[in-house]
Amino acid sequence: MLYLAFPLLVVIAISFTATEYLRFPPQGLTLRWYWQVLGDPTFIEAFIVSGELAAAATATALLLGVPAALVFARKRFALSRVLSALFLSPLVLPTIVLGVAILQYASALGFARSFWALFVGHVVLVTPYVIRTSLASLSGVEPAHEEAAQDLGATPLQTFFLITLPQIKAGVIAGALFAFINSWINVEVSIFNSTAQLVTIPVKLFNYIQFNIDPTLAAVSAATIYIAILVVVAIDLAVGIERAAVTSPETRR
Amino acid sequence: MRTDARPVEQGGEGMRLTSANAAFLMLGPIAFFVLFFLAPFGLLVAESFMRPDGGVTLGNYVSVLSDGYYWNALINTLLISLWVTVVAFLLGYPLAYFIVFHVLRPWGRRLIYVLLMTPLFTSNIVRAFGWIVILGRRGIVNATLLAVGLIDRPLDILYGKLSIVIGLAYILLPIMVLSICSVLQTVDRSLIEAARDLGARPSRAFVAVTFPLSLPGVVAGSIIVFALSVSAYVIPSILSGGREMVTPILIFQQYAATFRPDIGATLSVVLLAVTLLLIGSYLILFERRLRAVG
Repeated sequence: MLYLAFPLLVVIAISFTATEYLRFPPQGLTLRWYWQVLGDPTFIEAFIVSGELAAAATATALLLGVPAALVFARKRFALSRVLSALFLSPLVLPTIVLGVAILQYASALGFARSFWALFVGHVVLVTPYVIRTSLASLSGVEPAHEEAAQDLGATPLQTFFLITLPQIKAGVIAGALFAFINSWINVEVSIFNSTAQLVTIPVKLFNYIQFNIDPTLAAVSAATIYIAILVVVAIDLAVGIERAAVTSPETRR
Repeated sequence: MRTDARPVEQGGEGMRLTSANAAFLMLGPIAFFVLFFLAPFGLLVAESFMRPDGGVTLGNYVSVLSDGYYWNALINTLLISLWVTVVAFLLGYPLAYFIVFHVLRPWGRRLIYVLLMTPLFTSNIVRAFGWIVILGRRGIVNATLLAVGLIDRPLDILYGKLSIVIGLAYILLPIMVLSICSVLQTVDRSLIEAARDLGARPSRAFVAVTFPLSLPGVVAGSIIVFALSVSAYVIPSILSGGREMVTPILIFQQYAATFRPDIGATLSVVLLAVTLLLIGSYLILFERRLRAVG
């Protein structure tokens, strides 16, 4: 069990070290590495790029994923299995191949190494998370409520917004959080369409770690760990972490 | 279309959607995935069959699959992934068993799931970095071993297969644990009780009842861990210092260093094919099990 937490605890610990090089246990405690990172404009820029990308990708994933999940959950049709496998496949297919494919495709179409190239890759990457949690949520909705609404004359649209959506809100929020964080931390898709100016935090970290192993790296890494903890707690508050982790359709299989 | 007595699984109960409704809702997702998922992959596959000067050829595949360098990388990738899966299983099963059968208080389980899932939300790089600090020559492991006197020179744990296996197993462990947990939870406890009532020792009850029933989760988790491990780029790249060659690193090099997109495309398709084979076999296995049960 400790095995799981250990590397992360180590990173957090060394981010506070007062020495110029990495020491564990840390010698002296200081926040100066954090200040140094915050004062570096390139890190701030990368932070903004990562944020915009994750936000845009998540919003789009919601707009695409929730309707798709609804159809899968409420309509039987011939290609249902195939389509859902298609939409969920980015979860298990090599993301590096996705990154490569998008680069080639975007090059051919002329928008390589742009925000939009990053954007489309991330949408494909994170939509499965939204679909997964939405599907799980939809299976918990009381069907009689929806049927009653329609029997009373509500259109599907009205039924969805008045009956279904309030009940699946938690799952959708959890899906959005999964989507956001997975976009945020992704390296393999981002790295192929990044440039010196257009870079996300993970890609920046990846480039950095090739040359310097120093406390600044630890500070940024520790910051991402704090964010991860916040997100997990948020998901727990929204849906209950056990449900989100164990009862999603993928692990249920 | 019948409008009464609908079956429970996979749509049917609940809101009624017309085909027009469904088509409209699916339009966006399908269009997006065709344009930005299927098309790029299709382009990649097409490229793998092309010569640099145009024209269709199988030559890329021939040169990639017959070249010892690429072939070794692929074997290396598969071997490392096998180790990762085994380690993830050996560490993950006991943990999953413990969580499902021995953690009885709700807050205990919540804490454990939080611990399990938090690493999943940090970037690979951050987790790799943690291991660099632990396994490096001036890292924690070496420092401890030196201090205790078990060795007199730092070990080179990092930059080799071992560190990759440790790092990847660490990253993929939650997936294995969650997969086994979800199936262990469904094990009918009365069956275990029955075995005990019939005189079986706890270990025998486990071997004869619990473990076989949990196999679907073990298999599912293993296949996913193996597939993700084969596809891993960041961990092998960072934790091997360039000394271990796996296929994803090779692919990256084709675009970052040697500028051979045709080889890159070919290698990518090979990697994709391996992954699809794995996932496909999982789906087939799973379908059979479904049919056997119900």
